[in-house]
Amino acid sequence: MAYTEEELKKELETKEYEYGFYTDIESDTFPVGLNEDIVRAISKKKEEPEWMTDWRLEAFRVWKEMEEPEWANVKYKKPDFQAISYYSAPSKKPKYDSLDEVDPELLDTFKKLGISLDEQKKLAGVAVDVVMDSVSVATTFKKTLAEKGIIFCSISEAIREYPELVKKYIGTVVPRKDNFYAALNSAVFSDGSFCYIPKGVRCPMELSTYFRINQAGTGQFERTLVIADEGSYVSYLEGCTAPMRDENQLHAAVVELIALDDAEIKYSTVQNWFPGDKEGKGGVFNFVTKRGICETNAKISWTQVETGSAVTWKYPSCVLKGDNSIGEFYSIAVTNNYQQADTGTKMIHLGRNTKSTIISKGISAGKSQNSYRGLVQINGRAENARNFSQCDSLLMGNECGAHTFPYIEAKNKTAQIEHEATTSKIGEDQIFYCNQRGIDTEKAIALIVNGFSKEVLNKLPMEFAVEAQKLLEISLEGSVG
Amino acid sequence: MDLKDKLVSSFMAFENTVDVNHPVHEVRSEAIKNFETLGFPSKKMESWKYTSLKSILKPQLSVFPKKETSLDYKDVKQYFIHEIESYKIVFVDGVYSSHLSETSHEGLDVCLMSAALSKPKYRLLIENYFNKIAVKDGLTSLNTAFSKEGAFINIPRGVVVEKPIQILHFTTGVESSLLTQPRNLVVVGENAHVQIIERHQSLTDNPTFTNCVTEIFANKRGIVDYYKIQNDRDEASLIDNTYISQQRNSHVSVHTFSLGGKLTRNNLQFFQKGEYLDSTLKGVTITDKKQHVDHSTLVHHAQPNCESHQDYKGIYADKSTGVFNGQIIVEKEAQKTNGFQQSNNILLDDTATINAKPQLEIFADDVRCSHGCTIGQLDDEALLYLRSRGIPKKEATALLMFGFANNVLESVKIPQLKQRITKLIASKLGVNLGFDL
Amino acid sequence: MAGNTETDMLKIKNLHASVEGKEILKGINLEVNPGEVHAIMGPNGSGKSTLASVIAGNEDFEVTDGTIELEGEELNELAPEERAHQGVFLSFQYPVEIPGVTVTNFMKTAINETRKARGLEEMPANEMLKKIREKSELLEIDRKFLSRSLNEGFSGGEKKRNEIFQMAMMEPKLAILDETDSGLDIDALKVVANGVNRLKTPQNATIVITHYQRLLDYIVPDHVHVLLNGKIVKSGGKELALELEEKGYDWIKQEAAV
Repeated sequence: MAYTEEELKKELETKEYEYGFYTDIESDTFPVGLNEDIVRAISKKKEEPEWMTDWRLEAFRVWKEMEEPEWANVKYKKPDFQAISYYSAPSKKPKYDSLDEVDPELLDTFKKLGISLDEQKKLAGVAVDVVMDSVSVATTFKKTLAEKGIIFCSISEAIREYPELVKKYIGTVVPRKDNFYAALNSAVFSDGSFCYIPKGVRCPMELSTYFRINQAGTGQFERTLVIADEGSYVSYLEGCTAPMRDENQLHAAVVELIALDDAEIKYSTVQNWFPGDKEGKGGVFNFVTKRGICETNAKISWTQVETGSAVTWKYPSCVLKGDNSIGEFYSIAVTNNYQQADTGTKMIHLGRNTKSTIISKGISAGKSQNSYRGLVQINGRAENARNFSQCDSLLMGNECGAHTFPYIEAKNKTAQIEHEATTSKIGEDQIFYCNQRGIDTEKAIALIVNGFSKEVLNKLPMEFAVEAQKLLEISLEGSVG
Repeated sequence: MDLKDKLVSSFMAFENTVDVNHPVHEVRSEAIKNFETLGFPSKKMESWKYTSLKSILKPQLSVFPKKETSLDYKDVKQYFIHEIESYKIVFVDGVYSSHLSETSHEGLDVCLMSAALSKPKYRLLIENYFNKIAVKDGLTSLNTAFSKEGAFINIPRGVVVEKPIQILHFTTGVESSLLTQPRNLVVVGENAHVQIIERHQSLTDNPTFTNCVTEIFANKRGIVDYYKIQNDRDEASLIDNTYISQQRNSHVSVHTFSLGGKLTRNNLQFFQKGEYLDSTLKGVTITDKKQHVDHSTLVHHAQPNCESHQDYKGIYADKSTGVFNGQIIVEKEAQKTNGFQQSNNILLDDTATINAKPQLEIFADDVRCSHGCTIGQLDDEALLYLRSRGIPKKEATALLMFGFANNVLESVKIPQLKQRITKLIASKLGVNLGFDL
Repeated sequence: MAGNTETDMLKIKNLHASVEGKEILKGINLEVNPGEVHAIMGPNGSGKSTLASVIAGNEDFEVTDGTIELEGEELNELAPEERAHQGVFLSFQYPVEIPGVTVTNFMKTAINETRKARGLEEMPANEMLKKIREKSELLEIDRKFLSRSLNEGFSGGEKKRNEIFQMAMMEPKLAILDETDSGLDIDALKVVANGVNRLKTPQNATIVITHYQRLLDYIVPDHVHVLLNGKIVKSGGKELALELEEKGYDWIKQEAAV
């Protein structure tokens, strides 16, 4: 074999963060630190009604009493929550009717991100809401969506324009006191996306949000709320990037999905926050709470490709409340260098005949640690609940770790649960076989990793799958000499 | 005074009953300090998430038996595997019963911990092995602090022990609040083979609580087969801590049959310290009423080219709870490890619960590790098939459960023991199967 | 076996190779000309598969002496994929499984990587499709088979047929078939042999490694070599294979011992 572990290691070290650049747009940033005044100021800045301000303040009070969780299999220096600026918005707050009005420098940023808005608009028919440094910048395709009664806007706008909907659902899936980061987010979230699909409507295009941290020393706390009314369908894409910085940046988002009777939500994420450099310096702390609730016959499907962030703490979950509801979780998590990921899902089976599927693929390289943590809970009332879980780990090199922590709790005799986990490495015989067919080792590894991840890649919408595949290659290949 | 404080203060009284100049006493003193700091485990601890000791940690528990109780062999014969020749080490309420025992010092030592602690000729062995692999958590420290009696088994190099060794711990319940803490040590020399059967048995329906610690050392090419029969009465609770250290090319298997008892927690931990060895952990658990059985296993792979096999089958009825918390750790050095773990569970009633947490923690890349965990029911079609052949439902169900547990029973190497366990399982399931499995 | 150096396809001189310090090949000399089919036979453990692996560049084996030349160019220092780019193809005795990678995607990658190495453009999609269709028909391969994961869950016969399909796709100069007949029933054997024969041109050459004569009824060799204990101890025409079938290897062993 031409390819030794040493070489692999070297190759992985030389990998560069493709999206590491900084766009110079003037930002309007709050002073650092967090107290009730800052919470009030955020709320005021966003011209929020009083109930929202109170809701935030209550969350802040809850948060103050909470402690940062320590159970995850990750080690990091805890962020100083008083050293972060909790609000940063591009100063010329734009309200565009068309993309032509958008700051060309910003558009350039999007191009570097590979999400050229206008291109997507024409080709893919994707409606995009871009959240940059926590403020929603542009939403395209509003008109087309409006004709169907679909609301797709920033959460700030939703709080002003559709307060009844927001009030009814916000915090119902992820309560303010759910966990430390959820409480923090509830107090200080600056923006995010809101989506409502009316009864019986099938959203004609993929809805998409890109999140990006731009300003140094800021935290990003976006809040996403997706409501699929009875019998509706929506596919939602979320992409994330942040520029290279020495210090750690904090990202603590909350995503709530509500799938009412017979509704279906597909939520796909490609997360590529800055993972830190090869010495483990910098990078994003990604502490995210994502959860969906399924009413009768509803279905929520989470698909994620996680290649970025220095530390990830993320468990997109489904509460299968209604009978016959379905939860799915498909995940690829790649860690390299000093990255640490503790990610997985919770499937809470409450209703009868509920079904859940978990497919998790972890790939660890460098000195990284990659953990799957999942909970499958079958409650007493959940007759005939089914779960199938499969967690596969691939290790590259001998300085990384792959861990599996599944929790399985069953309280109903009709439950059927199957959990399988395997750990493997890329076989030298596999590489030699590829070599013999004229494929060099770097390409062979990419091919094998793609094959390993295929069951999950297949669940992504087409354009996203291509991007995800590219990201996998970048994350693991770099440039071999 | 709460139980912890009471036990800590009992230590001084305990010191009057042992030789405080023996080096082991330093270990005990260290351990009581440790227990004082750590106390009893609570559900807040990740490893005790699914098991609460609240119901059995009664403040009146005492570590001192007030009087000796003697038993007649005929009254307890049923608890021995009497169909075979064997060595026997028997304790009643933690006190050695010489007339029920059959020990030996001929070419091997099958005797008492108290003897090993008092005789100078064992001092080196004790120094080398006593408390060397026992994990220093609260419960094990508590046992270490009060350790003075239990089985001591020393098989010298090259000795193949022809007859199995039975260790029986009886509790009479004459004193209802007795906390017994047997401490066993098994040292198996190079190329030596031994089979051990262990049983804890309460003789009345009074509540009893046993916190047992066993350390097993298997040297190069040693073979140890250890069988645990847990078929105690409804009010008997057991924390069974077993720590095993293995050297190169050794084979150690532990089978645990958990059928009775109120609360049973098995902490079974394997530490692999040489290459080319294998560890086997198997168990059958069948529970009903309000029983709670927790299997917490750890296999620590620290050397290359080793294997581990875990296979646990559980059947839970009524309001009983099963816990399987299996952990495999593969260190960076442990390349070419093969680690397998399987946990299959059946819930018979909606009021029964199973909590499983099969964990893999892997730091080496060239390994094959897998775990599988299933929760399900008996196959309805198979049941129908059996019934259509004239087998009544109850027997058909039992037959299917036997089939389910068979993998584990199959690997019991002592035929008479296998037969006995089969009978115990049949009686647990309330059936009389007209054949031997 | 006097060969003309200018026209030699493969020339192996005094090849020694060992694995973990144990010498397996102990001085192999072999010349193969374009258009020829050579059979290498020998009992188990004689070094047949090692020879195939060493030609393909498997680095589990250490070449301690000797040279391997393809069309006059030495291969010794080349990586396995570079040898493949030069036109060496090995049909594996035990093809490896690669989960999640379809036969089609694998071939696309292999062909385009090879073209890239030869300074050619990627093969246009329609041309690729046409070729896949054509070659899969040649080997009587069901199209559905092509979208399955490479070798995963394939039967023994399917794996071997897939190897020859890949050979057809890659059009190598030198194809080495390592025990391609093992695990094949007679119908599959005919299909595979037929495929190999139809791919034969005056410009390429084939080395068939086999334990039994059976395959040679269908792929008729120009030369037969007997490998014993790491050396070629006897060479002859196709009749040698028949003789071996009839008499076994013992007489060769005796002859070689003398």
